[in-house]
Amino acid sequence: MAGELVREWTAIQQFPAATQEKLVDLLGKLKNQDVNTLTILVMGKGGVGKSSTVNSIIGERVVTVSAFQAETPRPVMVSRSRSGFTLNIIDTPGLVEGGYVSDQVLDTIKSFLGRFLLNKTIDVLLYVDRLDTYRVDNLDKQIVKAITDSFGKEIWHKAMVVLTHAQLSPPDALSYEEFFSKRSESLLKCVRQGARISKKDAKNFGIPVALVENSGRCNKNEHDEKILPTGTPWIPNLVHIITDVSLNGKSGILVDQKLIEGPNANDRGKVFIPLILALQYFFVIKPIQKWIKDDVARESRPAWD
Amino acid sequence: MSSSAAPAHLLPLTSSAASRRRCSKSSATASVSRLHSPESIVQSNLPSAALSSSLQNPKPSKSPPFLLNYLISPKSLGPSAASCILFHLAKPVFSGSGYIFNFGGGGGGGQGGGGGGGGGGGSDGGEGGCFWTRIFSPAAIAKDDEPQQEWDSHGLPANIVVQLNKLSGFKKYKVSEILFLDRRRGSTVGTEDSFFEMVSLRPGGIYTKAQLQKELETLATCGMFEKVDLETKTNPDGTISITIPFLESTWQSADRFRCINVGLMPQSKPIEMDPDMTEKERLEYYRSQEKDYRRRIERSRPCLLPIPVQREILQMLRQQGKVSARLLQRIRDRVQQWYHENGYACAQVVNFGNLNTKEVVCEVVEGDITQLVIQFQDKLGNICEGNTQFPVIKRELPKQLRQGQVFNIEAGKQALRNINSLALFSNIEVNPRPDEKNEGGIIVEVKLKELEQKSAEVSTEWSIVPGRGGRPTLASIQPGGTVSFEHRNIKGLNRSLLGSVTTSNFLNPQDDLAFKLEYVHPYLDGVYNPRNRTFRASCFNSRKLSPVFTGGPGIEEVPPIWVDRAGVKANITENFTRQSKFTYGLVMEEITTRDESSHIAANGQRVLPSGGVSADGPPTTLSGTGVDRMAFLQANITRDNTKFLNGAIVGERNVFQLDQGLGIGSKFPFFNRHQLTVTRFLQLKQVEEGAGKPPPPVLVLHGHYGGCVGDLPSYDAFTLGGPYSVRGYNMGELGAARNILELAAELRIPIRNTHVYVFAEHGNDLGSSKDVKGNPTEVYRRMGHGSSYGAGVKLGLVRAEYAVDQNSGTGAIFFRFGERF
Repeated sequence: MAGELVREWTAIQQFPAATQEKLVDLLGKLKNQDVNTLTILVMGKGGVGKSSTVNSIIGERVVTVSAFQAETPRPVMVSRSRSGFTLNIIDTPGLVEGGYVSDQVLDTIKSFLGRFLLNKTIDVLLYVDRLDTYRVDNLDKQIVKAITDSFGKEIWHKAMVVLTHAQLSPPDALSYEEFFSKRSESLLKCVRQGARISKKDAKNFGIPVALVENSGRCNKNEHDEKILPTGTPWIPNLVHIITDVSLNGKSGILVDQKLIEGPNANDRGKVFIPLILALQYFFVIKPIQKWIKDDVARESRPAWD
Repeated sequence: MSSSAAPAHLLPLTSSAASRRRCSKSSATASVSRLHSPESIVQSNLPSAALSSSLQNPKPSKSPPFLLNYLISPKSLGPSAASCILFHLAKPVFSGSGYIFNFGGGGGGGQGGGGGGGGGGGSDGGEGGCFWTRIFSPAAIAKDDEPQQEWDSHGLPANIVVQLNKLSGFKKYKVSEILFLDRRRGSTVGTEDSFFEMVSLRPGGIYTKAQLQKELETLATCGMFEKVDLETKTNPDGTISITIPFLESTWQSADRFRCINVGLMPQSKPIEMDPDMTEKERLEYYRSQEKDYRRRIERSRPCLLPIPVQREILQMLRQQGKVSARLLQRIRDRVQQWYHENGYACAQVVNFGNLNTKEVVCEVVEGDITQLVIQFQDKLGNICEGNTQFPVIKRELPKQLRQGQVFNIEAGKQALRNINSLALFSNIEVNPRPDEKNEGGIIVEVKLKELEQKSAEVSTEWSIVPGRGGRPTLASIQPGGTVSFEHRNIKGLNRSLLGSVTTSNFLNPQDDLAFKLEYVHPYLDGVYNPRNRTFRASCFNSRKLSPVFTGGPGIEEVPPIWVDRAGVKANITENFTRQSKFTYGLVMEEITTRDESSHIAANGQRVLPSGGVSADGPPTTLSGTGVDRMAFLQANITRDNTKFLNGAIVGERNVFQLDQGLGIGSKFPFFNRHQLTVTRFLQLKQVEEGAGKPPPPVLVLHGHYGGCVGDLPSYDAFTLGGPYSVRGYNMGELGAARNILELAAELRIPIRNTHVYVFAEHGNDLGSSKDVKGNPTEVYRRMGHGSSYGAGVKLGLVRAEYAVDQNSGTGAIFFRFGERF
């Protein structure tokens, strides 16, 4: 659970040797860059496989998942360390509730971050969705917008899109690659719209896409690595992209009070209050007093007065 | 207007002094004339119509809520200048709704004796001989009306002319007919002629010989006639017909007119004209009289009669040629009509002088106030020492009611209203009476009955609350009620202390206890200082349903949040006019937010899609605990020059309200919360002002801006929607925001004695809903802006309107009390 001490990442040994090797490689690469901690925030709609992805990356069943039981009720942080390197993955509940983006869920995520990650940075955001959904709708945009509103536009510099359920047979007349590129392109477009990234800016926000297949029936290659229909072993690939994103030169998202509580409108303009008060006195109250005086002077007196 | 009430309020005035004056003046009026009192065309019989017409209900704009019932009993004023008008305001202590003006015309000197009184008639009548009007006192009228009062047959052959002195002094004659015969023209004058005013005899009346003789004497001495007689003719049925043959007085034509105020002027002594004077002496005498009169004119003060009316009269003079008695009568009527129409109810034309010269001098006693007397009465009407200090009352009296001014009935009514607005008196009378020491002067008496200074009241009620299972049990009977006390008019300076406690359950008063304790201290700058500032300090509490926690369209019921406020408030109000004022002060309060079951709620609740209720909605308080304490300065300046024009409001109103946080309280709240409201009532057509005239169509434009910089707890957020925000929506249905703008326009078209209106309104959060902590607008799925339009009709106090809300496009009918703007 979240509060528990950082445990040794023992489950890494359960990965196939080839995967292990690649992971250790990537970790070494991070350590070379003087990165000792990697914090990953996983967000997305409910039931797209966020928790399963987390489990797959860690290599053990750290977050309970079940096929029909909806939802992780509250955010969970999984921390594993290995030879001085700490990996934090925060799994979150689905952002959609009752057909709407739930501010409440966002609030719980933020308050969770405030409690456990205050003054630390989020290095990578995994925006999770399914590959096997054909349509992108307004709700997706809303989710992206909600995330942007909460964490700022900058989070998309440190974001990558994860598409789960990668092992699928694409609809007729489409090759897997074609389907993948179409799906990822439409989703990225949606992300750009939701995050209000203009077309000009789009180059700055090179959001990579990774494919994931968490199912146990996932095809494996000769090294016993889980592979995608394209033949790529996806766990090393995913971790590779994660390291790329974390090392892409942009600074991570610092979790501070402001981020957690949102922009505090109550503090905005507070310093100007004395000035505002003076303006009100001289430019509102005084003129009204003058008008009243004019009224009194102008008041039609009765004939007998 | 019930004239039947008149006798009850008739003030029997002893105005013999006044009448004597008038008679004696006649000799001062020198000039000419074959009559010994040619000028005494005075008099009054103040047409009741003139008085009543000056009494258009002067209901003030924004009048206090009580009804004004004017019970006006116009009564012909007596012949003396000391006509008397009595204002009487009765305010029952508990109902507080009665408001009565009684106008009782004062009687004249001759009147007392002329009626049933008998004895006094002779002497009074002698002096009052110059009146040509006499009014029967109520007693006399009553006597005539008594059925057992039989009249006597003349006992003579029919159709013979009988000299007046041949009539029997013991008989009561019934007069069946009265005719005026103009000898010069040789024809009788119609009953509408002004001469008929002058006789008190009426067809069908029963009179004695003495009465008829006195009548004739009156006519002969009034100055209207060169020669006048009274002939009676017997009728077959025992009644008599009276014929009054007369020769009207006439004088040289005049081409100048002058009106002077002779009130308060000392009377010159009449110099008896010696019948044995030589021609030279006589000329000398006339010359000295003329000189005296000129001096009198010089000493007199200018009168209030405006130039246009004077010009109008001059026109009358020029058209006429010769100045006749009837012309003077018409001039008198016109002059008095102007005075009475303008409220100078005590003004009287007392004399025409300088006749037979080129100039007609109209002498007017305008009714100068010689003294203002304030009296207190106890419950029995006896004069007593009052608690209220005089300056408190004096500052409410219009200038026009002060010593040296001319008495005006409107000023009297204004005084009545002003004093009434003090709410210190159960009964107020403003009563002009003739000054006996100062002829032509008026003493204004203000008679006041004070209300009890201290009062306490307890009212109780039992409520039976359904207990378990819906059935009331013994324990569910709750005693509730209100205890209040009031200490009014402390130190006689209208300071007051009042308190009240209300609960629905005395056994458990902590459940809902409403209390209020208020101290009011008027005349902060001293009671003599015209600056009108009032200090108020109060402890209060209140409980209101927060419109911030309200659902938008389509959302199921949002669990309500109650906002309880309790605190102390101290402020100073400066009144500039009746409606414009500036209030500033300090408020310290504790705000507690509670849910339905009266538990303190730190967050709003919301209904989850699953049907459950989660209690982590937007925070209700700044501190986040459900209880906030804060101190802030509050100022409110209202400029309101609206007035009623034939029942429609026109003018403009601007209100600026400011709450300035001081950083004192939970979480050191520092804020500047401000609201500006601008409302214009534009008159779209010029209309004539007056009772019964139609009101103009009015276009109302309204704008309201509210904003807050700094800490803004949700209970102080501005809400959009509702009957006083954007009609057609529920309270708060459009959102709760940091800054709002509301715009409205309404067109009012008068129809019969009410009006119909169409309106369009818009409210906008200016995108500031998200700047309220927890964004309650979004949490409860509200739009943040919305418009509506509709139409309605005003039915008395109720507005019935159909409003369409444009967010959903649906309309509904609403009934509302009071005004939107």
